[in-house]
Amino acid sequence: MTENLLIQFAIIILFLPLLGFVVTLFLGSKVKKIFLFENFVLILAFILSVIMVFAKLNYYPQENIVSEFHWISLNNVPLFGTLNIDLGILVDNISVLMIFVVTLISMLVHIFSIAYMHGDKRYNRYFAYLGIFTFSMTGIVFTHDILMMYIFWELVGLSSYLLIGFWFEKKSASDAGKKAFIVNRIGDIGMFSGILILFSTYHTFTFDKIFTQISLGVLPFNSEFWLTVTGILIFCGAIGKSAQFPLHVWLPDAMEGPTPVSALIHAATMVAAGVYLVVRVFPILTGGALEFIAIIGALSAFIPATIALTQNDIKKVLAYSTVSQLGYMVMALGVGAYKFAFFHLVTHAFFKAALFLGSGSVIHAMHHEQDIRNMGGLRKKLPLTYATFLISTIAISGVPLTSGFLSKDGILAGTFAFGSLTGQWFFAFVGFFVALLTAFYMFRLVILTFHGEPRNKEKFDHAKESPFVMVMPLVVLAALSIFIWYTPNPFNPEQGAFLSKWIKAPTIVVPQNARYSFMKNDVIKPAEQVQTAKPKTEAEITFSESYTEAMHHAHIPAMLLSLTLAGLGILLAFSFYQWKKLDPDKLANSIKPLYKLSYNKWYFDEIYQATFVAFTLGLSNVLYWIDTYIIDGIVNGSATVTKQFSKFSGTFDNIVVDGLVNLMATISGFIGLMFRRLQTGKVQTYIVVVVFSLVIILFLFKSF
Amino acid sequence: MNNNNLNYLVNSLYLIKPELVISAVIVLLVLVDLIMMKNKKLLPYLSVAGLLVAAYFIIEHFETNTFAFSTGSSAGMMIVDPFGNFFKLLIVFASILVVLFSVASTEIKNSFDRHGEYYALIFGMILGMMFMVSASDLIVIYISLELVSFSSYILAGFTKRSIRNSEASLKYVIYGGISSGIMLFGISIIYGITGSTNLYEINSLIQAPQVQSLTFLLAGILIFVGIGYKISAAPFHFWTPDVYEGAPIPITAYLSIASKAAGFALLIRFIKVTFIQSIDPEGFWHLLAIIDWKTFIIIISILTMTLGNFAALWQSNMKRLLAYSSIAHAGYLLLGLAVMSNEGITAILIYFIVYAFMNLGAFFVVMLIANKIGSEELDDYKGLGYSTPFLGVSLAIFLVSLTGLPPTAGFIGKLYIFIALIDAKMIVVAVIALLNSVVSLYYYIKVLKHMFLDKAEKEIPAFTTSYSSAILLVAIVAPILIFGIYFTPIVDLAKNSITLLGF
Repeated sequence: MTENLLIQFAIIILFLPLLGFVVTLFLGSKVKKIFLFENFVLILAFILSVIMVFAKLNYYPQENIVSEFHWISLNNVPLFGTLNIDLGILVDNISVLMIFVVTLISMLVHIFSIAYMHGDKRYNRYFAYLGIFTFSMTGIVFTHDILMMYIFWELVGLSSYLLIGFWFEKKSASDAGKKAFIVNRIGDIGMFSGILILFSTYHTFTFDKIFTQISLGVLPFNSEFWLTVTGILIFCGAIGKSAQFPLHVWLPDAMEGPTPVSALIHAATMVAAGVYLVVRVFPILTGGALEFIAIIGALSAFIPATIALTQNDIKKVLAYSTVSQLGYMVMALGVGAYKFAFFHLVTHAFFKAALFLGSGSVIHAMHHEQDIRNMGGLRKKLPLTYATFLISTIAISGVPLTSGFLSKDGILAGTFAFGSLTGQWFFAFVGFFVALLTAFYMFRLVILTFHGEPRNKEKFDHAKESPFVMVMPLVVLAALSIFIWYTPNPFNPEQGAFLSKWIKAPTIVVPQNARYSFMKNDVIKPAEQVQTAKPKTEAEITFSESYTEAMHHAHIPAMLLSLTLAGLGILLAFSFYQWKKLDPDKLANSIKPLYKLSYNKWYFDEIYQATFVAFTLGLSNVLYWIDTYIIDGIVNGSATVTKQFSKFSGTFDNIVVDGLVNLMATISGFIGLMFRRLQTGKVQTYIVVVVFSLVIILFLFKSF
Repeated sequence: MNNNNLNYLVNSLYLIKPELVISAVIVLLVLVDLIMMKNKKLLPYLSVAGLLVAAYFIIEHFETNTFAFSTGSSAGMMIVDPFGNFFKLLIVFASILVVLFSVASTEIKNSFDRHGEYYALIFGMILGMMFMVSASDLIVIYISLELVSFSSYILAGFTKRSIRNSEASLKYVIYGGISSGIMLFGISIIYGITGSTNLYEINSLIQAPQVQSLTFLLAGILIFVGIGYKISAAPFHFWTPDVYEGAPIPITAYLSIASKAAGFALLIRFIKVTFIQSIDPEGFWHLLAIIDWKTFIIIISILTMTLGNFAALWQSNMKRLLAYSSIAHAGYLLLGLAVMSNEGITAILIYFIVYAFMNLGAFFVVMLIANKIGSEELDDYKGLGYSTPFLGVSLAIFLVSLTGLPPTAGFIGKLYIFIALIDAKMIVVAVIALLNSVVSLYYYIKVLKHMFLDKAEKEIPAFTTSYSSAILLVAIVAPILIFGIYFTPIVDLAKNSITLLGF
């Protein structure tokens, strides 16, 4: 398989879903079975991506394969200089792994939806939307420049909007769609400003070229401060898309969309795009920017985790858990645990998709009941759903032998190492505390849904296991949550090919003094390097040995601590909800303010309502008031004036009120009328005009 | 006959293979028409096949850069160079589309028994235009211009059914006759001064400072009248609205693209070859000071676009509206020439590629609608966007592109014209052109308003187009959207095609 072929595969994988979208959308109303085409296209894309990931990792494990073309080449533009914009495709290990995740989950969700969405009146359109989403997501994954990233970024935003509001007859659904769109826009403004700063400084959008120029010391506005600002601005895009604090409010509402959509877009892929963006621009992030990212990540990991403790809607719990896990990844990037952040992205995508699809299976069986207080005992009715849900829950709680344990443990070790190197233990503290909370609320969810006695007898009696097309994806995803796919040793992920061979931390390009102290190159101490004389691993290219050391030291204590906390969380969940040794209501009463804070989601929506929304509405009210009373008053006043004056002043008034625009239009129309008059339809006149104008031209130019 | 001359003739034949193919097809069409009295279905396919063969020969010799039919001196009667080949390709492309349009046109179908003439005349026009874009001799220029004109006079009145058809044709003949007479007068003056009809020879003869500039000015402008009438530049445009409105729609579309393109190729070649003094490294031309072509072209182009746009504001007939719009576009195109630089020519070529798609497309939709509702009046377009959404949306795309808004190809065409203007520091002219675009927005969008926002007075039943027409339409719409986003290929093509022989 040549490199060229890999690029062609990438292009085919990119455009297949678009083809599916176009065909399904345009033939949807005529051909009933057209959704099968969309499914077929996705299966094909998945097979291609399997071949691609295999070929890339086996034959080209080191290369970054790039194919680009000039999109716009205007050589000299006044005031700006050369303006050449390239678009292109980058096939590296990260992008092929990501494309594998995207196409796999998208394919499974497609298949799952065949049964889940059955009978919907816009059945085919739903599949068309899934197609455009998959196309946009693939574009994000394969891009080699930040402009194309932005284009597809907006496209996923659009498809997410369409799918959240898919059942737009429901007001809450169409509101949620709008909310997601608007909140994302806030983040995107930041991202766009960041991109503009980069482009105006470097005259290119391509990641590699920007990195090279920064490593040569070219900085925006010649200052490291602005590089930090740029990094943070671009990260704003991730805050919106990955639903990070303080823009996380849209994600729980987005659960109004069909559940398979929540699994695909709002758990596994699109929300991970923010993390993916940070992964892509990681080399240009300064220490300051990384610290900002870590803080946002920590807050996003912590706050939603506390909210998830008290929610009763099965999808809302999962939604908050998603925000919290994404916060984990972002925090990991912020503290420099690059590899584990991406690793967690992949593992989380699988088990979270399994959890969402599992909840979809439950909701399907319970006839669209989402409140866990009305569930219970479903273990007997839905054995396969229960088994897969349980495996995924174990994985997300970080219990050994699962993928979640490997990746989460790595992130915790990263925060631990960061703490030991910089003395900032805040991130480690948050990380471990959230691990406890996660184990607790996830098991609370499992126990309330599947264990115990059925609390709604009628619905329980009607529930039955979902059909094969819904269970199969669950089994696949649950199977992928086992450690064996990633490493042979369930306690050391570094032994697996995933972390040791495939994922490399990139070379940081920001100036030395703008980095974290532990990210500075060791090259300054050549003597030491000769002494150690061991082959350089890729981590050392980026991070100093001290960080690698610290990670190693942190590994064991972090693992023990996280195991203890996960165990404690699970134990607490069981004693509260299974064995009823402790009474959750009593506890809730004893810490009523905290409980209310969590139950009401820290009042974020209310705060935003009272501040930003109220301000905007207030402003528009003021404008409305000005409009009705002042502008209309003026108009009405002038109307009265018009009445009182005679026809003469009335004409004058019209000219003033209608203003310049109408005047211009009238003049334009008049000129046109004059020109039209010339067109008499009499050929004699035409010829006279021609000869006459010939004479005038000669007269005008005769001086030469 | 002198043996030597015959050799020249035979040696040049391989250079005009496309023209030979077209001539052969004319003969074939007439023969086939005579032999197969009843079945005329074959004719369009034969035409398209002939055009494809011609296109093949053009592409095969695209990079050729030489004289054909040398007169014994250094220069020849015709030139084969990339610039000419570009326009030949454009003409062939437009011809293929127009032949396909004709197949779908009810107007043409109704004159079923005369199909043979119709296609033969179109090919006569093609032949004339191909010679026009490659002529380097005033006599060849005149003859080819006449060949194009005569074919188009007949085609404009081809259907003979309505009075307006015949009226258009007659006006066209009178107007065209006067114009070509004026042009011939100019040619005779030049011959009188220089004793030569070859542009290259004239160029070398008038480099001397003692040339009588007033007489030459008169001659140059008289020749411009002949070409200006072909490209419908104001004030020589008067035939355009009447003829466009009266002629069958495929012919209107054809006149608006192919003969305009040929006219522009001729104009550019005439001015550049005859009056050039030197070209500086940045691609700006320095012309002989006999005629101030730059000022002249600027004035004509501003007049043309202003007149076209403003008069279009009042039109209530789609064909007439598009006629004025095509006059306005001739104005934008002339601006590219006014820059007097290679960059300006690149911009013109880009604009022509784009313009061919969008203008032909717009006429095609107007034709398809006229096929169904039997009218081209704007008032009858009310509510059409809902009774035939496919045609409505396509027309919307064409009109937006004609306005020059992104993300359509029309934007790219205008963008390059404006870039060329700004590079040449002609900011004021650029601003005038920009304001003109704003005016044009009004009448283009007015059509959309009629189609999508106004209620039809009487209910129009929903109708669909045949599959073949739909496919053809998609094939025209798609490039407009694709080139609007990814336009490097057409820019590269244009950049490779600005080579004129000798420069």
